[in-house]
Amino acid sequence: MAENLPLLPRFAERFIQRWAKKRQPPASHQIEIDRHHLYILPTRHGVLYFMVLLLILFGAINYENSLGFMLAFLLGSLALLGMIYTHQNINKLNVHIGRAEPVFVGQDMLFPISLSQKTQQLRPAIQLRSSTSQISHAHLLNTTNTNSQLICTAQHRGYSSPGQIKLFSEFPFGLFHAWSWLNLDSRCLVYPAPYSHHIPITKAEQEINGTTSNIKHGTDDFSGIRQYQAGDLPNHMAWKAIAKTGKLQTKLFSNETSQDMWICWTQLEPALDTEHRLSLLCRMILDASKHSLNFGLDIPGTTIPPSHGLQHKQQCLKALALFGL
Amino acid sequence: MKFSINKADLQTLSRHPVFWVVLSLSLVITPHLGRFPVWSIFLIIFLFSWRLLCIKHPRWLPPKWLLLIIIIFSSAGLFFHFGTLFGKTAGSVLLSILLAVKLHESPSRREYMLLISLSFFIIVTNFLFSQSIPTVIFMLCIIVVLLMSMITINQNNAAIDNIAKLKLSIKMLLQALPLMLIMFVLFPRISGPLWKLPDEEKTARSGLSDTMSPGNISNLIKSSAVAFRVQFKNEIPAQQQLYWRGLVLWYFDGRTWERGKQNITPDPSLLTSKNLIDYTITLQAHEKKWLYALDMPVDIPDDIIYTNNFVLRAQHKITSLYQYHLTSSLDYQIQREISPWEKSAGLKVPPQTNLKTLLKGRELAAQFSQAEDIVKHVLKTFNQDEFHYTLSPPLTPGADPVDQFLFQTKRGFCEHYASSFTLLMRAAGIPARVVLGYQGGTINPLTQVLTVRQSEAHAWSEVWLQGRGWVRIDPTAAIAPQRIEQSLDAALDVNEARSLHMQLSNSVFKKLLFYWDAIDNRWNQWVIGYDIAQQKQLLSRLLNQQINFSDIVLLLVIGFTLALLITSLFIFKPWHKAKVEPVVEAYATFCKKLSAKGLTRETYEGAFDFSHRAIALLPEQKNSIQLITRLYSKLRYEPSQSDKQLSQFKQLVREFNPGRTPKS
Repeated sequence: MAENLPLLPRFAERFIQRWAKKRQPPASHQIEIDRHHLYILPTRHGVLYFMVLLLILFGAINYENSLGFMLAFLLGSLALLGMIYTHQNINKLNVHIGRAEPVFVGQDMLFPISLSQKTQQLRPAIQLRSSTSQISHAHLLNTTNTNSQLICTAQHRGYSSPGQIKLFSEFPFGLFHAWSWLNLDSRCLVYPAPYSHHIPITKAEQEINGTTSNIKHGTDDFSGIRQYQAGDLPNHMAWKAIAKTGKLQTKLFSNETSQDMWICWTQLEPALDTEHRLSLLCRMILDASKHSLNFGLDIPGTTIPPSHGLQHKQQCLKALALFGL
Repeated sequence: MKFSINKADLQTLSRHPVFWVVLSLSLVITPHLGRFPVWSIFLIIFLFSWRLLCIKHPRWLPPKWLLLIIIIFSSAGLFFHFGTLFGKTAGSVLLSILLAVKLHESPSRREYMLLISLSFFIIVTNFLFSQSIPTVIFMLCIIVVLLMSMITINQNNAAIDNIAKLKLSIKMLLQALPLMLIMFVLFPRISGPLWKLPDEEKTARSGLSDTMSPGNISNLIKSSAVAFRVQFKNEIPAQQQLYWRGLVLWYFDGRTWERGKQNITPDPSLLTSKNLIDYTITLQAHEKKWLYALDMPVDIPDDIIYTNNFVLRAQHKITSLYQYHLTSSLDYQIQREISPWEKSAGLKVPPQTNLKTLLKGRELAAQFSQAEDIVKHVLKTFNQDEFHYTLSPPLTPGADPVDQFLFQTKRGFCEHYASSFTLLMRAAGIPARVVLGYQGGTINPLTQVLTVRQSEAHAWSEVWLQGRGWVRIDPTAAIAPQRIEQSLDAALDVNEARSLHMQLSNSVFKKLLFYWDAIDNRWNQWVIGYDIAQQKQLLSRLLNQQINFSDIVLLLVIGFTLALLITSLFIFKPWHKAKVEPVVEAYATFCKKLSAKGLTRETYEGAFDFSHRAIALLPEQKNSIQLITRLYSKLRYEPSQSDKQLSQFKQLVREFNPGRTPKS
C-alpha cells in the first residue's frame, strides 16, 4: 500500500497492518486519529536526504569546515522537525465517513469523507486510499473541516465497503510518511450492472415472445417495426429482424397504455445464469421506470407489486442487488 | 511559437515544482559562477530556461541521447579547461551541469527531491571557498528557498500561497537553529582528515608569494583582505616594531628574489632575548606552508617547524583558518658567527646584470672600512637624494632593473628599495638577504585585536654585521618613515590609487569598519576556527573540570534531547486550548437546547438538514429555527461578518426556547 517507503518490505507492512488491525478500535462512522494508531517511517526521499547529510558531514570532518558541520546539523534538525510536523499533520484529526449513494456494478462508489479538527491548524496534503480506491486528497487550510471523497469502483453487487482505509501524509518535506489505518464503517449498495443492448441472441424470438403471454400489458395489436430507441423494452425487441439485419429494432404495438406490467424472473431464457438474468432485469426496470410504466417485480423470494416512482425503482433495484446474498 | 507571458502563466509557473527546483539550483550555483568557465555558465542558463519552457510544452523535453551528448561534451570541455574533473572547482562545475541535465529527465517527484537534496550538497561545496558571514546569510536565504521548494513538491495541489510557504519555512528554520547550535558545539570533533585531500588546484588567494620581483607587492597591497589577526597577551608593541616575518629570500637572478634551496642547519639560536611578547595569531588560509611571526620568534609550539632563518613553517598547507601561539623577542641578538653556507649565499650576486650597482658597491667597499658606515651611507642616500616612495613606480622592464631604479627612475615601492639595498650590500661585501612579510597592522580599539591586511605586505633586508649578527635594515624606513611609524596611507601621496577600504579608513565609516572587523574576528575565532582544542577548552571552562571524549558524547545526547523537547513543546503547544469561534459556540448552545428535546444533531448533518428535522418536530418554532440557521450559515461561511450580526445571533440563541408554548 505504501508507495514510497524504503525500509519496509511488503510482508513487513502486511505484518504491521495485521498488528494494527488487532489494536484498532471497533469500526464506527467516526475516528479521531491518535498517536497510538499513528505510524511514521522515513520515505525513500528521506533516506536519500539522510545520505546527502552524511556526505556533507564526512566532507566537513575531512576538510575541517565549520560551516559544513553547521549545514549538516541544520539539515538534521530540519529533518527531525519535519518528522514532528508530518506527525502533527494527521495527529488528532477527526475522520468521518458518510453514506455512499447506491451505484451500479462498474460505476464509482463515492464515500463522502469529512475531515475535521478542533484547532485551526494548517494541515495540507492529506491523502486517503483503500485497497480498492484511488488516492484522494484533502487539505485543511486553517479551517476546522473539509470534505473529500473516497472513490472505489464497484466490483460486485450487494453491499460493498471501502475496506480498510489508509490515511497518510508526507507534508511538509516528504521525508517522512505518517499514516493511520482507519476502520471506518460504511457501506454502499451496489445494483447489478444494467445489461447493454447488445444482447447475445441465443434463442428464437418466438420463445421469448411466448413468455410474454403472461405479462399483462398493452401488447395486443402489433402495428409494425421501427428503429430501436433508447428506453424501448427489451421484450418488445424484434429479435428476428435484429438477427436478420444486425440493427436493433423494436416492435410497435398500437395500444401501449399504462397498464400494469410484470418483470419476471421466469420470463427470461432459462439457460441464462443468475448474474446475466439480474443484469437483464435491471435493464428492464430502468427502462420501464424511464417510461413511467407501472411495473412489478417478481423474482424468486421477492415479489414487489406494480407501482411507479423513484422509491419503487430503488426498492426493485435493491431487491435485485441483494438477490441470493 | 509564442513567448508572451501573461499573469496567469506566471502564477501557474510559480506553483509548479519545476520552477522551484530550477530556482533552487540556480541560487545554489550562483556563488560558484565566478569560478566557472564562461561557456558552462551559458550552457547551464540555457538548460534551465529550456526546462522552464518545457513546463508549458512538455513535448519539448529533450531525448536521452541528446542529454548524453551534452554530458560527454561538457566533461571533455571541463577536462581541457581544468586538466581534471575532480578538483574543487572542476568538480563543482561538473556537478552543476549534471544537475541541470538531470532536470530534463522524467518529471517526477522523486527527481525533484533528488535535485533538492543534491542542491544542499552544492551549498557545502561553496563553503570550501568562502566561510564569511555574508556567505552564510546568503546560504540561509537559499536554504529557505530550498525548504519552500520541498513544500511545493509535497503540497499536492493544496492552495498554500507562497507567503504561507515562506512563513512556514522561516518558522521551521528558526526552530531548527537552536538544535543546530547545540549539535555544533557538542558534536565530538575529530582531528585530522579522514582521507587524503586531493591536491589543490591553483586557487587565486591573495597573499605573499615565495618570490619577489618589482611590482609584486605593490599589486598585492591593493587588496584589503585580512592576512591574519593577532591577539596580544599583554600590551601591544609600537607600530614600528611590528615586523611580521614570513620568508627569507637568498637567491637573486638580477630581477627576481627566490628562496632557492632550503639550507638545513641546526636550530638557530638567539644570544640574548629581552622584551618578550606573548601573542596568538589567527592566520587566514593562504594555501602555503609558511607562517608569520613577529621578529624574532623565541618560543614556538611543537607542531611548527623552525627553520634556520628564524622562519616558521607548518606541517601542511594552510587551507583553513589556522591559529598558533608564539613568544617573540623585540630586543634580540643573533648568533655571532656566520656559517660558511650563509656567507657564500649572502654574498652571491648575478655577475652579468646590474653592473652599475655592482660597481657602486665595490666603490663603497673601498670608500668605507666599516660595514656599519656603508649601511648608514646608503640609507642616507635614499633619504636625501631624489628618491620617492610610490605605489605606482615607472616600469623597469630591462635586464638591469636595479640599475634602472637606482640611477634613473628613483621612484619605487618597498620591494624596489629592499631589492636594490640588498644587492648593494652584497656588492660591497656585506652578507645580506631579503625578508618578506608584513609590517604594521590596525588595532581595533573595541577588541584590542591587531588586524594585518594584505595592504600591509612589506619587504626589508637583513645584513650580517661583525659582532652583531643578522641585523634588520628597512630601507623603506629611510625613504618613507611614515610608512613604518604610522601606516601606508600616511606615506603615500593623496592622489595615489588605493582600494576602497583604505580610502574609507579616514572617514566616518572607520568606526563601523572596526565593529565589522570585531565581529569578523569573533566569527573566525569561534565559528570557523572551532575545533577539537577549542571544544575541549570551552566545555572544560563551562563545567569547571577536564573533559574527555565520552563526556562530550554524553553532553551531546543530553543537550540535544533537552533542546528537542523544548522545541517540540513549542510545536505541540499543549497549553493552547482549542479555540472555538464564538459563532460555533453559540450554535452549539442552540443544538444543546434542541437535544434536550430529544433532537440530536448528527456530526455529518448540515445545519439546514438539521433545521428541517427540528422544524418537523417543533413546527411552532419554525421562524426562530430558520432565522438562527440562516444567520449561522451566513456568519460561518460568508466572508464579511459584522459584530452586530454576531451579537444578534447570540441574542437569538439565548432567547430560543424550544419548550415554550406558542402564544395564541
